[in-house]
Amino acid sequence: MKPSFSLALLAALLTALPAARDAHGQAYHPILVESPTMQTGQPMPREYTPDGRNVSPPLRWSNLPTGTRQIAVVCEDHGAGNPPPWVHWIIYNLPASAQGLPENLPIYPDAPMPEELTGAVQGKNGWGRPIYRGPAPPLGTLHNYNFFVYALDTELDLPPGLTREELMERIEGHIIGRGAMVPFYYRGPAPDEEEQ
Amino acid sequence: MADDQRPVISRRDLLKGVGAAGAAAILPPAISKASAQAPGVPAVPAPAARASLASVPRSRRLENLTADEADVIEAIMARLIPSDEMGPGAVEAGALNFLDRALGGFLAEEREEYRDNLAALDRYCRMSRGAPFVELSPVDQDSVLIDLEGGSATGSGAGFTGSSGAFFGMLKSHTWQGTFGDPYYGGNADFIGWDLIRYPGVRLGVSQADQERLEAGELQPNRRSAYDYEMFEKATALRSSQRGATHGD
Repeated sequence: MKPSFSLALLAALLTALPAARDAHGQAYHPILVESPTMQTGQPMPREYTPDGRNVSPPLRWSNLPTGTRQIAVVCEDHGAGNPPPWVHWIIYNLPASAQGLPENLPIYPDAPMPEELTGAVQGKNGWGRPIYRGPAPPLGTLHNYNFFVYALDTELDLPPGLTREELMERIEGHIIGRGAMVPFYYRGPAPDEEEQ
Repeated sequence: MADDQRPVISRRDLLKGVGAAGAAAILPPAISKASAQAPGVPAVPAPAARASLASVPRSRRLENLTADEADVIEAIMARLIPSDEMGPGAVEAGALNFLDRALGGFLAEEREEYRDNLAALDRYCRMSRGAPFVELSPVDQDSVLIDLEGGSATGSGAGFTGSSGAFFGMLKSHTWQGTFGDPYYGGNADFIGWDLIRYPGVRLGVSQADQERLEAGELQPNRRSAYDYEMFEKATALRSSQRGATHGD
């Protein structure tokens, strides 16, 4: 059965909106997160999944709060993991001057980042690797992928390879803004099977 | 990023793994030779002269694998333990020869698994990256192997038996065995694997002087197979000769 995209959009919005407050119930400054190739409630291109080249997608952000000194990005799937979420990507130590991430960041931990991201490092995803790995939901299922962008009020010189939990511990108390984009991915049958 | 020649497994991870297991993994960047010494692995003089072997094409005589299967396996092995500034890797060590031979012997039960999963890998690479594995760039080959290892290569109707991760684990183990195992089994050619991990070789006795040389990094490697010693039974050779095989001793 084909997925209902409207249901996916609703699920994405429900996933993205309620958590936009800190541990004390204070609302985060909303960051606008966009991508030239993806948007909330829409399917992710195969290129960003293991059904394609599995390269990292491009992101753009704007409306950062005043006082932003550093940025962190986490992509997570709250429909997977034990316990959830399953983490697909973590990148942090991003300079406040960065306005987004280009497509296809390095899959080798010691490879240099683009100049505009100097200092940025990647954390460990759910597979234990400090790189981006895209959606790989079970065949026939639809999952939402939360690309969270955090604005921090300080410059943290965090080591590479942190897990999501370790990152969140380190940045707790420094988050002054947050935004999300929540596309989904449906892993259908092989193309030749779809044609039948 | 630009495609480059980084291996899917770092030398550091590789040597740690092998060092921990004795002289019997996986994935990210080439590291400097100086930082590659595995903790607890005896230091044997580095095989600088062997580095030149990396560029020497080896002839290949297949007993069980098809030529196409061998090409793919060898390409994977070249990413798992690449030849680099530290010296030759799995290809030069003849890990493929070990596997090809073993699939007609003690690994015969896994022959079908290789056939099916190599076909699945070919489908997966064509569907996801648009070309067979051997034609992909090194970075795309590594990306495929990472997806294989993580069990993500399940889409596109690839049809791996079990999981892609299980196939990856099997192939990785056989690459290690073919690179670091006793040369008697057809791999570890010219003791490349043992030189890589600075393994001083099989010895029936170690004197105090040997121990001191070992600790000083001055012990010369003993380039002998365990089966060069009469006390070790050649069980595999016996089975091979019963099949009429010509390899072995």
